[in-house]
Amino acid sequence: MDNRNLLLAFVLSVVLILGWEAGLRYFYPEAAITTQTPAKGKPADGATSAAAPAAAPGAGNLGGDAAVRPVDLKTALGGGNRVVIDTPRVTGSINLVGARIDDIELKDYRETVKKDSGPVHLFTPEGTPHQNFAEFGFVAGGQRQPSNALWQADGAKLTPSTPVTLSRTDANGLTYRVKFAIDADYMITATQSVTNAGAAPTVVQPFALIKRTSVVENAAPSVVHSGPIYSSDAVAAYDVSYACGWSLFSSCHDLTTDGTYSVKGNTDWVGFTDQYWFSALVPGSKNAGVEFRSLSGKLYRADVLYQPVTVGAGQTATQTTRLFAGAKESVLLDRYEDGGIAQFGAAISWGWFWFFEKPILWLLRHLNSLVGNFGFAIILLTVIIRGLMFPVAQKGFASMAAMKAVQPKMKEIQERFKDDKQRQQQEIMKLYKDEKVNPLSGCLPMLIQIPVFFALYKVLVLAIEMRHKPFILWIHDLSAPDPAHILNLFGLLDFTVPAGFLAIGPLAVLLGITMWLTFRLNPSAMDPVQQQMFAIMPWILMFVMAPFAAGLLLYWVTSNLLTVAQQSYLYSKHPQLKAANAAAEKQKAAKG
Amino acid sequence: MKRILILVARGWQLGPSRTLPPSCRYYPSCSQYAIEALEKHGALKGGWMAFKRLMRCHPWGGHGHDPVP
Repeated sequence: MDNRNLLLAFVLSVVLILGWEAGLRYFYPEAAITTQTPAKGKPADGATSAAAPAAAPGAGNLGGDAAVRPVDLKTALGGGNRVVIDTPRVTGSINLVGARIDDIELKDYRETVKKDSGPVHLFTPEGTPHQNFAEFGFVAGGQRQPSNALWQADGAKLTPSTPVTLSRTDANGLTYRVKFAIDADYMITATQSVTNAGAAPTVVQPFALIKRTSVVENAAPSVVHSGPIYSSDAVAAYDVSYACGWSLFSSCHDLTTDGTYSVKGNTDWVGFTDQYWFSALVPGSKNAGVEFRSLSGKLYRADVLYQPVTVGAGQTATQTTRLFAGAKESVLLDRYEDGGIAQFGAAISWGWFWFFEKPILWLLRHLNSLVGNFGFAIILLTVIIRGLMFPVAQKGFASMAAMKAVQPKMKEIQERFKDDKQRQQQEIMKLYKDEKVNPLSGCLPMLIQIPVFFALYKVLVLAIEMRHKPFILWIHDLSAPDPAHILNLFGLLDFTVPAGFLAIGPLAVLLGITMWLTFRLNPSAMDPVQQQMFAIMPWILMFVMAPFAAGLLLYWVTSNLLTVAQQSYLYSKHPQLKAANAAAEKQKAAKG
Repeated sequence: MKRILILVARGWQLGPSRTLPPSCRYYPSCSQYAIEALEKHGALKGGWMAFKRLMRCHPWGGHGHDPVP
């Protein structure tokens, strides 16, 4: 019986290791927030065909795009015809060909954890390997104005204090203008206007689009939503993807298969997101036609096409659109949300557990501003949580000391009902009740710690605040797995440890050792099967936890160390328990 | 809904509960209580009863024999 249980426990542990990732997806599907189930998009007619111009005035969509020859970044940016963008947090340029914002670098974020790596280049021109850009244009008289038209700029530099207006006039006497203004963070306001100097009224539709490739340097973890994202009627949705992976609960619209996806209702914002970066268009008026579109060559587009307006002779029509292109800093996004953009903070896919994740991040941020290192902030967080749990452990030890008095009766029960585990349990419970003692702390204190752990896990994946943030020694990035590996002697041997099962770092080993220590000092009585299981658990968890963020392991290791310290302290307060525990150990050793 | 909740409790018993130190202050255990309550009183009332039991399951709460009413 005992052997069978042990075997079962072992099999379960193996299932735990192998099923961890699948389990996470099963229990925490990323799209848990949205309840919307919009209808399937239209089939892919014309979606991948090249250069279908908008057909009629008031056309429903912008059609496809002509394929563009690949070009490297340096050539693309060196072509001239650019207006410099320079703000405290952003550098880049506006492309006068096509009125595009296709060059944005984020000054505050490096590409990799290496000190000499360049800044993150969020927007890059069409045709470059990681192309991603925004375009502002017009459909006039049913014709989409060409994307290769050259615009004139009235200034040389776009800064928070100096807006720049681009303009061009077509053969029919229509003058198009796009005025760009940028704030001190990541928001650009584009004001598009058309002035009709001709004789005949013309129907005009301003539009804005973001076009990008799904090819990224570092793929986001599966618990983070990346790809198309939007909010409509104040509900953020994560149910459109470049390509849908396996998911059980969430509905997912595969953009590559469906070709297009039309957003229903009034769009608050629409765009694309990566794990840490985000670009979105915020329509300036309601009832704009909003659509995602799949194009050939792993290219995708988010279109905002405004309702047609008739511009009479001598008249001017104006439309504003905001473009966000930057990092998903939760404080900043929430500030824009407070400024009137519904659900903007939800660009970070917090999931259903946001109400606990955000306070944890808030606390970590404030602890960090106190100690100046996110690693120590995590340690402080652990101290706070263990501190809150300390009375529970203290109470447990106190009642355990009181239990000593009823130990003989306990022994008697255990002997008498040796073969009937259930009856034994019942009798022990009865004894506790009669003697008014209970050494067990119940499951609530334990259950309370699970959300903290899960929230920290999500925060380490979602929050850019902890990206590339060092602890001490070899840990340069708390949001990434431990970079050192045992298998190649911490880099002394010249080979790269393949990611996966054997990639254990020193932090994971520390986790195993500290957990083994806490189990050893655990005062509760256990049956032999559980004893055996507790002997292997730490080492299994060592493998399971190794690929997780270093910050998460840091939390667990600290928590274990504090448990050991707490246990030692409480034993010193109740010396008789220590003696009893030591005796039990000896007995065990003699038996085994 | 009832089935799903029972499945959750059952999953807890088979998985995490086995790997954690014994901590039950009550008999039957919280998960067993939940299963019985759900079967007897349905998802809504049974679930609420199970939740209340969990909320009692700490060092300052009660202990001992506490079957589903």
